[in-house]
Amino acid sequence: MMDFLNYAINGLLLGQVYALLALGFVVIYRASKVFNFAQGELMLLGAYTVWSLSLGANLPPWLAIPVAFVAALAYGWLIERLFFSRLVGESVFSMVMVTIGLVILIRGVVLVIWGAADRQFPALLPTMPVIVGEVILPTSMLIGAGITLALTLSLWYFFNRTRAGLALTAVAEDPCTAISLGIAVKRAVTLAWMLGACIATIGAVILLNGRSLNVLSADVALAALPVALLAGLESIGGLMLAGAIVGIIQSLVAAYIDPKLGGSASSIVPFVFMLFILVVRPTGLFGWRNIERV
Amino acid sequence: MSAPAPQDAPPLLAVDNLEVLYSRVILALKGVNLQVAKSGCTALLGPNGAGKSTTLKAISGMLSVEDGEVSSGGIQFAGDSVVDRDAQRMVASGVVHVVEGRKVLRHMTVEQNLVVGGHLRPSLTEVRRGLDQVYQTIPRLAALRTRTSGYLSGGEQQLMLIGRAMMANPRLLLIDEPSLGLAPMMIEEIFALLGHLRAKGMSLLIVEQNAQAALGLADHGYVLEGGRVVLEGTATQLKANEDIQEFYLGHQAGGERRNYREIKHYRRRKRWLG
Ligand SMILES: Nc1ncnc2c1ncn2[C@@H]1O[C@H](COP(=O)(O)OP(=O)(O)OP(=O)(O)O)[C@@H](O)[C@H]1O
Ligand SMILES: [Mg+2]
Repeated sequence: MMDFLNYAINGLLLGQVYALLALGFVVIYRASKVFNFAQGELMLLGAYTVWSLSLGANLPPWLAIPVAFVAALAYGWLIERLFFSRLVGESVFSMVMVTIGLVILIRGVVLVIWGAADRQFPALLPTMPVIVGEVILPTSMLIGAGITLALTLSLWYFFNRTRAGLALTAVAEDPCTAISLGIAVKRAVTLAWMLGACIATIGAVILLNGRSLNVLSADVALAALPVALLAGLESIGGLMLAGAIVGIIQSLVAAYIDPKLGGSASSIVPFVFMLFILVVRPTGLFGWRNIERV
Repeated sequence: MSAPAPQDAPPLLAVDNLEVLYSRVILALKGVNLQVAKSGCTALLGPNGAGKSTTLKAISGMLSVEDGEVSSGGIQFAGDSVVDRDAQRMVASGVVHVVEGRKVLRHMTVEQNLVVGGHLRPSLTEVRRGLDQVYQTIPRLAALRTRTSGYLSGGEQQLMLIGRAMMANPRLLLIDEPSLGLAPMMIEEIFALLGHLRAKGMSLLIVEQNAQAALGLADHGYVLEGGRVVLEGTATQLKANEDIQEFYLGHQAGGERRNYREIKHYRRRKRWLG
């Protein structure tokens, strides 16, 4: 029983980091309807930047992290300016193809600048686990869950309660109407990419804390796609629940089914989930259903 | 009805020989002239495809969204040439366009829609003031504040859209077919509201199929057909015009000219009502 609880809680925490990565994804999707397959690569860029700043330039964490966030904002801005602002008026399909191009491009850039060797990602968060009774909790993941919660609440508040945020929600809902109301839609899209890149960097700091970093680290963000889909692509509030569901199931499968199969069924769990959602309920748990009044 | 502005006062909006191209090849407007007086109300009538909506989009800077452009002619608003202004700047200059097709932000509540409409207001206090004003002017909306706008009735949505436009504090409101699909009572309510706004000094340019309602409020009107103005005059003149009477007001043209006109009208009816 204790094992089960351990697995479930660790799955829950992992799910919250997925939710955090998915948050960046959702912010970009809402503003531009672009399904950004390169969210993991944005995380990769952020991760290597943190690595360079803290281990290369020897900055203390309290300085390295904010500087990395600023750099991430710049990456988001640059990517939007270079690629997506030129595609205004093109189909969403071609923009999604560009994000797939970005996957390859950013991985290539990372390989050229930082090389293919494994790097030790700095442990900016405590690595000592917290032990509650018999449950062992990695501190970085606990902090991560806290950050996910804080970020979810603030973004939810921003998008639903503030004037600037509601204007961005209007862009998410209907760009043409937003334009007719005098909202700067292009600026909203730029802002979304900046925010998306920044959130990806936060994810990197939590997820990679004290672990090894290489180009393949980006793959973890793929697990954030099903979380975003399960929540419903527009939903910010639903991500934590969706993350919990995907994380817990994945963790339990890893604990109880993987050993029996001798393989890693757990790593495909999120994607089985994704296919299931797409077939059964494409708008996810909390996504915007089409409101049709006849 | 409030007194129309004196003839010699410069109009608030003057559209001069406007030509509009879509996709660089489709000529939708072929030299349109029209004016809206300060605190005046102008009705723009015409059959489907005449270019009414296109005229509004050209004024509000919404053409670029549909790959359209003003290929020649001018638009003066409050004495400034505004042909090159995008929608964002037009809203900031005081021109708000309620586009055709009842574009509510469906998943947002009524109040959220209104707040978005007032996003250019300088402070939260100003937004609150705007909301109070809207709820006072349109009491029905106050009761619907927290409702998801996509589920409102067509009439409620139209009221909300007008409220949302009010939040931007427009000097000139462009409104495209506000009566579409609404019951007579609701149409009356909408036009009473528009009349109220006008009495408060807002200028209106109304595109309508319902000429009865539009000419009831307007002081001036234009009939557009095939991208050109084919008829213009004061509301009184237009209401007395036989073509308008027959095609828009549903009256019978009388007298011995009936037969001769029937042939001509039949042809035009097909175009006007097509
Ligand atoms: N985005 C567009 N691209 C190409 N042609 C267009 C576009 N929008 C309108 N048109 C054309 O321009 C002409 C005028 O259209 P417009 O929508 O202005 O008419 P309307 O008078 O508003 O008609 P309705 O009463 O049906 O709304 C039509 O022939 C239409 O086919
Ligand atoms: Mg129209």
